[in-house]
Amino acid sequence: MQTFTGLVSVLLVFLWLGGNLVSPLRPICDLRVLDHFVREARDSEVIMRGCRGGCGAMKSYFVPLTSVDFAVLEHMDVNGQAVEVQTGLSLLDQALSNAMKTVSNSPLANALDNNISNIHSLGQILHSLDLQARSTVLPDDSAPASTQTQEVSSLPELLQVQSSFLRGKVRLLLSAAPACQRQNS
Amino acid sequence: MYLLCKWMTKMRSNRLKIVFMLCLAFVTTGGQHFESKVAQLLQDETEHIKCFVEGKDLTCFWEEEEERNHIHDQYTFTYSYEKKNKMACAVSSLYLLASNKTILFCKLPKTPFFTTLDVQVLRDGRMLYTRSLNAENVLFLDPPRNLTVMSSGKEGQLNVSWLPPLLKYMDDSMIYEVRYAVDGSNMGKVEVIKVSTRLVLLGLQSNTRYKVWVRVKPDGVAYKGYWSAWTEPVFGVTPPSDVDPLIVLLVIFIGLILCLLSLTVILSHHKFLLKKLWPDIPTPEHKFPGLFTVYKGDFKEWMSHNNGSMWGRSVPVYTEELPSPLEVLSEVSLTSHGTSQREERKPVEEDEEKESERSDSGLTDRWRDPPHAHWLMEQLRALQENPESRSQSSLLQSHDTYVTLNQGDNEQQVDDVFEETLPLQTLFTTAGTSSLGTSHSDLGSLQQSSGSGRLSSQSSFEYPNHTWPPKGPGYAYMAVADSGVSMDYSPMSSSRIAELGKHRMYTNDYKNEIFPHKWPLSGQYIKSG
Repeated sequence: MQTFTGLVSVLLVFLWLGGNLVSPLRPICDLRVLDHFVREARDSEVIMRGCRGGCGAMKSYFVPLTSVDFAVLEHMDVNGQAVEVQTGLSLLDQALSNAMKTVSNSPLANALDNNISNIHSLGQILHSLDLQARSTVLPDDSAPASTQTQEVSSLPELLQVQSSFLRGKVRLLLSAAPACQRQNS
Repeated sequence: MYLLCKWMTKMRSNRLKIVFMLCLAFVTTGGQHFESKVAQLLQDETEHIKCFVEGKDLTCFWEEEEERNHIHDQYTFTYSYEKKNKMACAVSSLYLLASNKTILFCKLPKTPFFTTLDVQVLRDGRMLYTRSLNAENVLFLDPPRNLTVMSSGKEGQLNVSWLPPLLKYMDDSMIYEVRYAVDGSNMGKVEVIKVSTRLVLLGLQSNTRYKVWVRVKPDGVAYKGYWSAWTEPVFGVTPPSDVDPLIVLLVIFIGLILCLLSLTVILSHHKFLLKKLWPDIPTPEHKFPGLFTVYKGDFKEWMSHNNGSMWGRSVPVYTEELPSPLEVLSEVSLTSHGTSQREERKPVEEDEEKESERSDSGLTDRWRDPPHAHWLMEQLRALQENPESRSQSSLLQSHDTYVTLNQGDNEQQVDDVFEETLPLQTLFTTAGTSSLGTSHSDLGSLQQSSGSGRLSSQSSFEYPNHTWPPKGPGYAYMAVADSGVSMDYSPMSSSRIAELGKHRMYTNDYKNEIFPHKWPLSGQYIKSG
């Protein structure tokens, strides 16, 4: 009997810990974090422009669409935006990782590595805002371009897309996140 | 705008209403600032196609070439993004009164942001201008709204606040610039502030009227753009300095009191203070009365008038020593010549030259008779052994002052004596005791100093009723007196003489300490003064 109660209490402790672990993170609503990522994406563009040799091979990458129509945006719900953002971030993550394999220039490689880690952090932020998409189907490189994606043929274009994506869709989503709206109101 | 509308009405009269509506639409939706923005960019932007985003819409315009008469229908504006098909945009024209220029512009109906736009201007089917841009980078915001300037109550401060331009999604991406200047002055300062729409201006002049302007721009992270136009100036007055007039009055009052007190102190003790701050240069005038005033610094004159009174006081006597007769028993001369000298009991007033002559002759005579000295020495020894003979210093007693010569420490004193250059000095420096015993040493010294040849002339030794042995009278007799201004005779008692024997001192007090070293002449034995 005593061992049983002990076991139960231990299980309860684990459940409590587990519950705490899976509980949502504190929402990260400060957009300065995203601004920091945006600046680093811009730094990669600058390094790219100044790169001489070992700057990656000409390769096509599938990247998300970045255009934002405010009129359309106003009518779009947050979850739809969240899906779009999450998909886009995954695409960018893949594309950047592929690009990095062809880059031998160390400053550029470091910048790309930084961008990849930033994208991972953004995923965490979206998770904290409870905006992480439940299901994301990542198209592979060989898949044809969907309506949500576009194709770029060089690393500079890829970096430009990344920058635009972060400044536009990701930022608008974060600023419109309900978790942050609740805090502000 | 009005000109455009007029022109359009003229050209298409059957679409009057539509055109009129369009004109109205342009006027209302174009915003108050449209023309000013266009005018501004016309100056600042270097690209052929100048684009800006006002609100949510992108407007691109270009300057029409003057020689062209045809208007917008020759021009075609196309744009594309994300590799989509090109889309066309309606071209309009606008005449700017201020710069006397005509521009052609196109406003995109649905502006895509965060993507690269490729815009082209075609004229008669041929590409004229082309440009690639991102719409979020050419934001041209309206000026801030509701600018207010208020006094904060604190000295030199003003509270400035405003509202951001009406724009969604961009409230947290704005940066403001506040310009302020004293009313009427052209020199202004600028403060930059991010995101916040409030600012406290510090370090302003008190009780001064200030003009304040504000403008806005995207911060450059997510959105970029141009500086907006300045707002209309708003005035504010800084509060006056909060120095209490009561405190000022009190400070002035206390200052006055302190001044009065210090003046009073200075006036009452001005002499003392003057002496301390500006001390007198010491002058010796008080020691020399009348030297500077009467005799005009002529010291000789003054000396001649004030001779007697001055010297007796403080100035030590130098030229003449105080006289005192010194009777010294010198080397015995057994000649009659010496005897006659011996019997002389000379007062100090005796003529010294005469004595010196006699003494010299006697001296020579005496020196010829060294053997007789031996007898005298024995006499002296006898006296020495018999201290009571001192009582017979009544022998020495006279009206004259005598210096007795000691007999102790003979050897040393003999040496000391030899160091003296002058014979009389030698006699003086030996300590005085009574009796002939002293003279014994002197005799010795005299004997030995015979080489000098200048032995003192006379030494007298007086016995009132005493007779010398027949052979004896050869001793020299000398009365010596110190030269001096005044004479001082004091009868000498035996006790005094005894004292003298014990103490090395002169019988008379000389103030002149240099005397023994500066006995001028050996011949100057006695000087009556």
